[in-house]
Amino acid sequence: MTKKFSLFLALAIVCASVNSQTLFDEEISIPAGFAPTEIVMPPSPLTTQVLFVGGVDLVQTTPTYGNPGGETVAKEWHDFIGMTPDQSGQSMGWVSVNHEMIYADDMLGDGGGMTVFRIKRAADGSIEIMDQTLVDGRSGKFFNVDFANTVGETGMNCGGICSMVDGRIWTAEEWFQSSNSDIYDNGGGIRDTSDFTVTNSDIPGWNGTTLKRYQNLNWMTEIDPRNAKAVRKQYNWGRQPFEGGAVEPGNQIVYLGPDDTPGFFGMFVANTPGDFNRGTLFAYKHDKQGWPWVPIWEDGSMLDIKNVTVSKGATMFNRIEWVTINPENNFVYFTETGRDNPGNAWSDDNANGGVHHPAHIARAQAQGLSSPNDPAYWDYYGRVWEYNPTNGQTRVYLEGGPYFADSPTEADYPKKALSNPDGLSTMMIDGKPFLVIQEDLNGSSKGRVPAGISNRLCEVYLLDLAIQNPTLDDLIRLTAVPAGAEVTGAIQTADRKSLLVNVQHPSTSNPFPYNHSLTVAINGFDNVSYDNFRNDNPFDVSFKTTSGDSSFSVYPNPTTRTVFMNQVTDVALYDASGKRVLVKRNTNELDVSLLIPGIYFVKNSDGETLKLSIQ
Amino acid sequence: MNRKIFLATFFFISLFSFLGFQENEATLALEKTNKQFNLDLTEIDLSVNKLLLAAENLTEKESSIAALQNAIEDTRLKYKKTEFLLAYFDPYNTKKKINGAPLPSVEPNVPEVVVIEPSGLQVLDEMIFGETVFENKKAIIELVKKFKKDFSEARIFQSRIEMEHRHVFEAMRQELVRIFTLGVTGFDTPGSANAIAEAKKSLEGVYAALNNYMPLIEEKSRGLAIVMDARMEATLQYLNVNIDFETFDRLDFLMNHIEPQYEILLTLHGQLGIEFFEEVDTRQQAVNYHAKSIFSNNFLNAGYYANLDLNNPLIDKRIELGKILFFDPILSNNIERSCASCHQPEKAFTDGQKKSIATDRQGNVGRNSPTLLNCVFSDKYFLDIRESRLDRQMLHVVKSDKEFSTDYTEIIKKLNESKAYKSLFSDAYPDNPNYLISTYTISDALSSYVASLTSFDSPFDDYVTGRTSFIDPAVKRGFNLFMGKAACGTCHFAPVFNGTVPPLYDESESEVLGIPTTPDTMNVEMDQDLGRYASGLPRDKAEFYKTSFKTVTVRNVALTAPYMHNGVYESLEQVVDFYNRGGGVGLGLEVPHQTLPFDHLSLTPEEQADIVAFMKSLTGDMSKFDTPEKLPVFENNPTWNKRKIGGEY
Repeated sequence: MTKKFSLFLALAIVCASVNSQTLFDEEISIPAGFAPTEIVMPPSPLTTQVLFVGGVDLVQTTPTYGNPGGETVAKEWHDFIGMTPDQSGQSMGWVSVNHEMIYADDMLGDGGGMTVFRIKRAADGSIEIMDQTLVDGRSGKFFNVDFANTVGETGMNCGGICSMVDGRIWTAEEWFQSSNSDIYDNGGGIRDTSDFTVTNSDIPGWNGTTLKRYQNLNWMTEIDPRNAKAVRKQYNWGRQPFEGGAVEPGNQIVYLGPDDTPGFFGMFVANTPGDFNRGTLFAYKHDKQGWPWVPIWEDGSMLDIKNVTVSKGATMFNRIEWVTINPENNFVYFTETGRDNPGNAWSDDNANGGVHHPAHIARAQAQGLSSPNDPAYWDYYGRVWEYNPTNGQTRVYLEGGPYFADSPTEADYPKKALSNPDGLSTMMIDGKPFLVIQEDLNGSSKGRVPAGISNRLCEVYLLDLAIQNPTLDDLIRLTAVPAGAEVTGAIQTADRKSLLVNVQHPSTSNPFPYNHSLTVAINGFDNVSYDNFRNDNPFDVSFKTTSGDSSFSVYPNPTTRTVFMNQVTDVALYDASGKRVLVKRNTNELDVSLLIPGIYFVKNSDGETLKLSIQ
Repeated sequence: MNRKIFLATFFFISLFSFLGFQENEATLALEKTNKQFNLDLTEIDLSVNKLLLAAENLTEKESSIAALQNAIEDTRLKYKKTEFLLAYFDPYNTKKKINGAPLPSVEPNVPEVVVIEPSGLQVLDEMIFGETVFENKKAIIELVKKFKKDFSEARIFQSRIEMEHRHVFEAMRQELVRIFTLGVTGFDTPGSANAIAEAKKSLEGVYAALNNYMPLIEEKSRGLAIVMDARMEATLQYLNVNIDFETFDRLDFLMNHIEPQYEILLTLHGQLGIEFFEEVDTRQQAVNYHAKSIFSNNFLNAGYYANLDLNNPLIDKRIELGKILFFDPILSNNIERSCASCHQPEKAFTDGQKKSIATDRQGNVGRNSPTLLNCVFSDKYFLDIRESRLDRQMLHVVKSDKEFSTDYTEIIKKLNESKAYKSLFSDAYPDNPNYLISTYTISDALSSYVASLTSFDSPFDDYVTGRTSFIDPAVKRGFNLFMGKAACGTCHFAPVFNGTVPPLYDESESEVLGIPTTPDTMNVEMDQDLGRYASGLPRDKAEFYKTSFKTVTVRNVALTAPYMHNGVYESLEQVVDFYNRGGGVGLGLEVPHQTLPFDHLSLTPEEQADIVAFMKSLTGDMSKFDTPEKLPVFENNPTWNKRKIGGEY
């Protein structure tokens, strides 16, 4: 591009013209007998139920560090959630909750941790936490998973794996540390920094191995949710800042996602289905001839997996988070959450052999840069990837954003904005698979929050997996989560009636317990059909009028808590007393999920008014 | 046509056209503002090209350096004109990349510590007005190039935002706060000290937008239109005349220019029928937009910081319960210590100790007790800012061997033995009987109480807000020094005078000062407490956070001696002397990441005394913070009933 031409381009950045903007009266008087057309928004078929409150509910502990077992306050900062179905049919199964923290505790054990509990479906459709007595004698509802006396402490339990085959659970430790003093953290972290000798491991070659204490962190760690005990650190999958993973239906392959730049999409293939202690670890390499995976099996490489993987020329991703599998066709999906400017973080690894995916190279070129190694290369929003297990190809399934250069506008927020996807799982609604995508914003710049707002808000979206090439328009915002909550993990129950979600300390003034880390069930998915989640404005397709003569019509969707309008307009909502409570501009839909049920009046730019009854 | 119908129709049409006129006027105002904004942004583009040229042509000649200095001043002034909208629409990008402070930061929300080197107009200002300009030529060129790129990216983003009336008014008011707190204090002109000229340019940007709305304002309120018109003229005139950074009367500027306009803009926002933030988004914001004055006690929203709904009808009962718990030693392991042991109301909720006494009088807890007054206005708590939630703050005290040395389960067990406590809890928390006495209710009550410990009723507040009309001239001089020459206000930001950064007030800062172990200025030894670096948070493990401590409030500081995290200084005079000497580096210590200017502030003894007088005028009324007269009774444990209100020591 010539200098002159680029200057011309710079000057030619058009300024967005402003739309005519209606100034709505702060109050309107509602005359007696005022009877505009009334539209009813029925209550949502989805209801929420609190199951477990972190930092408040009490958990049962095992004897630890010389202290007797007993009962104490559970850890917090919920992240991954797993659901292990009960094959006996006596209950729905066991729920596993990760605590993404580092915290020294004499009873719970140092570092991060997990809590498990067993649930059953009550007659009224709600979920009941069951009383249990475990093999080790502990009795109660909530149980602390014993790591300290089994496989050694964990730290920052963020993501994990819940096998779609049998509900086996692994917890991931993202907190990558490289010295004992770092993990000791002035006594606030892991206080026992003596060497750790591996005993009772069923992974060949690991018994008797002595590790520095910090080296015993950052493994995928399997737990037994029935007995609230850790089973093993999966030393044969490598030491990495793991976040997520998924077991494929054949029970032979585990896909692995490390949260790092570069992060390498990994695969462990078991020699025998279900026995993940024997097998081969691979890293994805898109440009390898034939099957695009390279084996990583050198002696001793498990402790230094990153450098080995780089030297093998594996494909570099920008922070892989959770991994999930579409049960219909076994396609694998994983989130690449992104980091604002990854250039410096992976340029060295690129020089040492790691390769960039063509999608990142194309993005860099579109930004006028020669390579993703350029410090100016930006990746603000992240994306969801798809891996096709039949041909080994990966492609960007859904690009995050919008980047404001291509797709306006502020008015689209939050419906059409996906920033830094993190948690990812699959759920079935009405017999069809959907992705459940959870944001974890890396920042609030670049339109990740609307103008004039300083605090972040992370959304949960559903996405119909039948869509071949989805865009942000296809995202369905799940509004049935607590207001302002940051949902970090979600998993569907086997009966498909509930979605269990973990919420991490929302920075809101929500009433208790919605201001704490907690596990919530969203019940009622058996009462909704695919159609209930329709996300497109019905007026755009078929004019479904629910109003009378007025040219202004609205259509409520009780499931998504959205009121669709038949025109793009400025709109004000007045409460029953005539006080203006909500204004939205240049839109054809209104999110009413946070409004208190009651009577409202909806007024458009032309002054046409409809009555809206929110139930 | 029937006459009646005709009249009705006429009335309707004229009403409609009147409303239509207003709509058109409003839209026109917005269009003009938007267009001007884009033209002004293009001006920055052009100015940066000249800046780059000046940097590339830089020689050792004085004239060449002067040309570069002119060029950066020009770019900064062009930026200042657009600042109110640019920073409003993308605050973090503007803060980090466009006008970023010359300090490194840590990349947020990534699993490892990644240092981001500072860039943008402040860094350039500091470098180009520094002493080694030519030597820095290469770095300057790189920084200008980076700015050019970051700015063009910011422009693409800005060009797609649909500007609304609400945005313009919120941005204008936010800019008034920014000008007062960060502009005229010299915060963002570390090298050139061109703060006053820049403040004027920022206001010109604001006024240009406001003038677009004048026809509409005249329709709504002729009186306010005249008032505002006159005020704008007077302020610009004031800034034409008062141009010297050192002598600029910031108190006068605040009281007679910033404050009245901050209030009038709010009135206009409402009168024009423009919706308010809460009608668009339900999230609480740190700044309460409806506060009329920057110094009013509701300017910052305590509920936002504490994650509490302070409008809850039960809040008074919760605060009352929190107060009882605060003074009750039953919370501690030995039933001798309460929160009030280290936070005594008459000492503005501190304890007068260098370092607070540890449990069983076994040494100390390691640090000085910070005041709890206004401590809620912070996004992180403790001197090493390790806790982001007020309701989790107490957990650290409960568990610490040196403090309560116990466990929540123990506390819950004890409190459950008192009928009186049970009834206090059920009165305050009737909605969650399953969690009647739980970590939730205990910590919620305590944080409700702590969030209520606000203090904006000092003699200085009375004067600024017009409740009184006289104040000691030494206080005035002291305030002007604090906010100007002595550069205190560039870290202790008004109105709380703490490290919560304006104008969004959503981030708490910490600083490396190089604090010594003793007040001795001859044999100086550096305090070894690693502060923020050792907070236990992985994201704080950056070299430049070593010995970094939270910037605490200066309010009520007359009551909170001794000072600093280690209580090294016994008097405010000593503290001012420490800063005047240039902190630890000024005392001759090696403090590689000191964030305080190294050079001597050249404050005269009178000036230092004035600053102390100002700080002392920030002392609020302590009598309103009373101590409970009695503590709840434990029916079956008479020895517990002998416990002392507030603890033994």
